[in-house]
Amino acid sequence: MGIESTAHTAGVGIITSEGKILSNQRSVYIPDEGEGIHPREAANHHVEKFPKLFKEAFEESKLSPNDITLVSYARGPGLGPCLRTGATAARAFAYTHQIPILGVNHCVAHLEIGLLEGATDPVLLYLSGANTQVIAYAAGRYRVFGETIDIGIGNGLDKFAREAGMGFPGGPKLEKVAEGDALIDLPYSVKGMDLAFSGLMTAAKQKLDSGHSLASVAYSVQETAFAMSCEVAERALAHTGKTELVLGGGVACNSRLREMATIMTEERGVKCFVPEMGLCVDNGVMIGWLGYQMMSAGYQITEEDNMVNQKYRTDMVEVTWR
Amino acid sequence: MKFRGAEAIVETIDWQGKTVISKTRNKRGYRHPSLEKKLVVERLRSESRIMERLISHGVSVPAIYSVNPVKNRIIMEFVDGRTLERALRTDAFNSHLKDLASLLSKIHSLGVIHGDPTTSNFLVKDKIYAIDFGLSSISDDPEDRASDLRVFLESLDSHHSEINGREIFLSAYSKGEGSKAVLEALKVLELRGRYNLMRG
Repeated sequence: MGIESTAHTAGVGIITSEGKILSNQRSVYIPDEGEGIHPREAANHHVEKFPKLFKEAFEESKLSPNDITLVSYARGPGLGPCLRTGATAARAFAYTHQIPILGVNHCVAHLEIGLLEGATDPVLLYLSGANTQVIAYAAGRYRVFGETIDIGIGNGLDKFAREAGMGFPGGPKLEKVAEGDALIDLPYSVKGMDLAFSGLMTAAKQKLDSGHSLASVAYSVQETAFAMSCEVAERALAHTGKTELVLGGGVACNSRLREMATIMTEERGVKCFVPEMGLCVDNGVMIGWLGYQMMSAGYQITEEDNMVNQKYRTDMVEVTWR
Repeated sequence: MKFRGAEAIVETIDWQGKTVISKTRNKRGYRHPSLEKKLVVERLRSESRIMERLISHGVSVPAIYSVNPVKNRIIMEFVDGRTLERALRTDAFNSHLKDLASLLSKIHSLGVIHGDPTTSNFLVKDKIYAIDFGLSSISDDPEDRASDLRVFLESLDSHHSEINGREIFLSAYSKGEGSKAVLEALKVLELRGRYNLMRG
């Protein structure tokens, strides 16, 4: 069983040791109109929803708590109050039913769930609200080869959408309104394998204010931001010599992004793996799957594994299960 | 030799009786055509101009023989060396890191930011050569120079975690002109955002 609560999503997932998904229950906190995620409000949402999510996960999987052999939860990175509610729910459940419990890294879980799709040694293009990274395995760890140097791509899209009068989450709403074929010139900011989005989003807002239509600005924002993302993924593929790309994170649900990544990998002659949407976004299944991978490789749980860590970096995890 | 990089197809070809490097920027089907055109022309122009500037100041970069914006192609000298990435896996990594630091410092003092100084973008032969100026730019800003250092340190960390090259490299770089402000800026850059914390 995996418990996810790093940001706006509370998730409870159940997966078998063979990688069969028995349940993937999720509930997403939606902030008030015109506002972003309030960490405490999000945590309150999770507290309220967890009992129902547990119940539904057992109903769907037709299992009972005694069938669960390991409870994993996302230790971080994430918003403190949200992380603590997930950790508390996981502990309460695990202690009540005398099941081992393990805290795992959220970003690594996004990559590992991609391996279920058939990838063996991929580059992960991980695009979510807060995280925008290009990750690949090298010398015992998942290393971050490239990353945003200011804001996460999803946060940038959300912020622009909010300023344009659309609610949260802004990314999917922008995708719906994006239309056109003429590109408005916006800053294209790639530094090596790193990216920057804040200048792009500010410029987009200015274009909107100067009279361009929302449809055409949204279209141009998507074209520019996703081309930047695909370019750094391509650079990481070239740099590491790896031949597989996995997409992860909520922004990876965007169909234009998926299309661009597919074209890029076809042109390069590498394989592209796109997990189904329910596994791209934050979910409990991937947390449970990573915990299982770690434990089956003989991982020894330490005291530290049972504490949340808001700044738990991808490359802090020693990869012992590969 | 033929190598498909992220940016371009780089291959050795026979050109006017000698072996040279031909670098052709590939078309990116995933990019909007007008974005693609803009980036290709911008990067081709900037790359050749910057290389000319460095060559005229005696910096070891490949000589440019021909630039063709229609074919998106640059013909340049073939430096038959091995990549720094491979050279760093030998016992001589220490002196390679020092050579690289003084090369990068020279490039910076001429107002050039490499833009992508990873370990695969330097060649070691009789001396060390900088290649691939596809993402380079002109700037004197210590922060831009620091950003170059950070890209290099990152590639060192992600690809050469077995050697502790950071200190060797930075102490050699610190001997160069204007390095104090750059190293200060690097500190600030590394403290900012993702380098010491990940937002959730």
